Amino acid sequence: MFKLLKEIFRTGEATVKYPFAPLPVEKDMRGKPEHEAERCIACAACTIACPANAIGMTTDVQAATRTWSIDYGRCVFCGRCEEVCPTDAIRLSTEFELAVARREDLTRRAVFRLARCEVCDTPFAVAKEVAYVQDLIEATAPGAEDAAQRRRLVATCPSCKRLHDVDQLEKLGVGRRIEETRR
Amino acid sequence: MSRLPSDTQFAPAAGIGKIDTPVDVQRMKSSLLKDIRRSAYVYRVDCGGCNGCEIEIFAAITPLFDAERFGIKVVASPRHADILLFTGAVTRSMRMPAFRAYEAAPDPKIVVSYGACGVSGGIFHDLYCVWGGTDQIVPVDVYIPGCPPSPGATIYGFAVALGLLGQKLKEETHVEGDNERVVIAHPTVPYDLRVLIEREARRMAGYRQGGDLAETFLTALETPDGQGLDGRLDRILRSTDDPRAREILEALGGVVRIAAERARP
Repeated sequence: MFKLLKEIFRTGEATVKYPFAPLPVEKDMRGKPEHEAERCIACAACTIACPANAIGMTTDVQAATRTWSIDYGRCVFCGRCEEVCPTDAIRLSTEFELAVARREDLTRRAVFRLARCEVCDTPFAVAKEVAYVQDLIEATAPGAEDAAQRRRLVATCPSCKRLHDVDQLEKLGVGRRIEETRR
Repeated sequence: MSRLPSDTQFAPAAGIGKIDTPVDVQRMKSSLLKDIRRSAYVYRVDCGGCNGCEIEIFAAITPLFDAERFGIKVVASPRHADILLFTGAVTRSMRMPAFRAYEAAPDPKIVVSYGACGVSGGIFHDLYCVWGGTDQIVPVDVYIPGCPPSPGATIYGFAVALGLLGQKLKEETHVEGDNERVVIAHPTVPYDLRVLIEREARRMAGYRQGGDLAETFLTALETPDGQGLDGRLDRILRSTDDPRAREILEALGGVVRIAAERARP
């Protein structure tokens, strides 16, 4: 009897104090993905990486906005979004207390403005993303003139770029040259 | 049993796709939550999950987490249950058994949707045989997300279900402010070099720890201290006691040295 009591005293209490005290967790535990909308460029890398389609994006051309959203109810906490994020805007925190009574409370949204094409004035990409890419190009371009040209290219929508390409090819006379070589 | 569709009928027709809570049961439920003076018995319904959630429920009733100290006890029959715990996405074959378990539990009952699959179908949400989350067939009171929810999350979810703790999450929408702009990280380090450093760190330690190490390395590399490159790299190496981190930081220093060598005319 005394031996048993001694053993119990030696072992102490194994049960954690949670929920009366915070539960100690690992620093790198995969908990709730925290999205910092201020650092997000809405590049949609996470929406493609997300295996459960918990992260998604919808574009509203009329309002010129793109809405990023995450559904914590569908998230499988794999960390792929954190792995692919180019600006470290999304990171898995150690937060695990996610239970809710309303399904809608598991959703987070972030609304981003779309930039308008320099040529045709239609919204085509998120303004923050365009600005970020322009900054990157400025940092890596060999010369100032080159940088300016690349900046303009980034701020143009894909269909205008295509039209521009056709224009350039016409000016260079590529089609004529091909015909000549055929003959 | 009159509200149940017949066993042979699998497609959810109008009106019987989902069971609703009658008003009197809702009143009984609120009084149950207010006056519960005894243990809450839990019956676990597996609607077609991978068993990960079951393992975590079991972990939550082990002595380490000991949900039974709050009177939460897992029982073997829905007829004994106060709380029904639906795990797994609702599959075509398990839909009828799930309905039957719901009907067999006495009113008032609390329905908890457990795990990512239980909440919304999770990673299986678009499978041909998956009906979706638990809320597609029965009224749900509490959702516990997670894949699987850890024992801590499970205990928190039960506390929310029994009204002991409040929920922390709220629906939020962030709208982009004016002049919101993302700046390039570490602008003084050449872009190609930064990519090389991050790639090497991730190759050696994975995206999480590698990314953190690359971040500390780049921050330290950018901090001006009046020393040359070698002195600065030495200082970075001395900043950690972890031999694994030191090995990686040493490799990152090697990347910088090679780049500096190449840049020299």
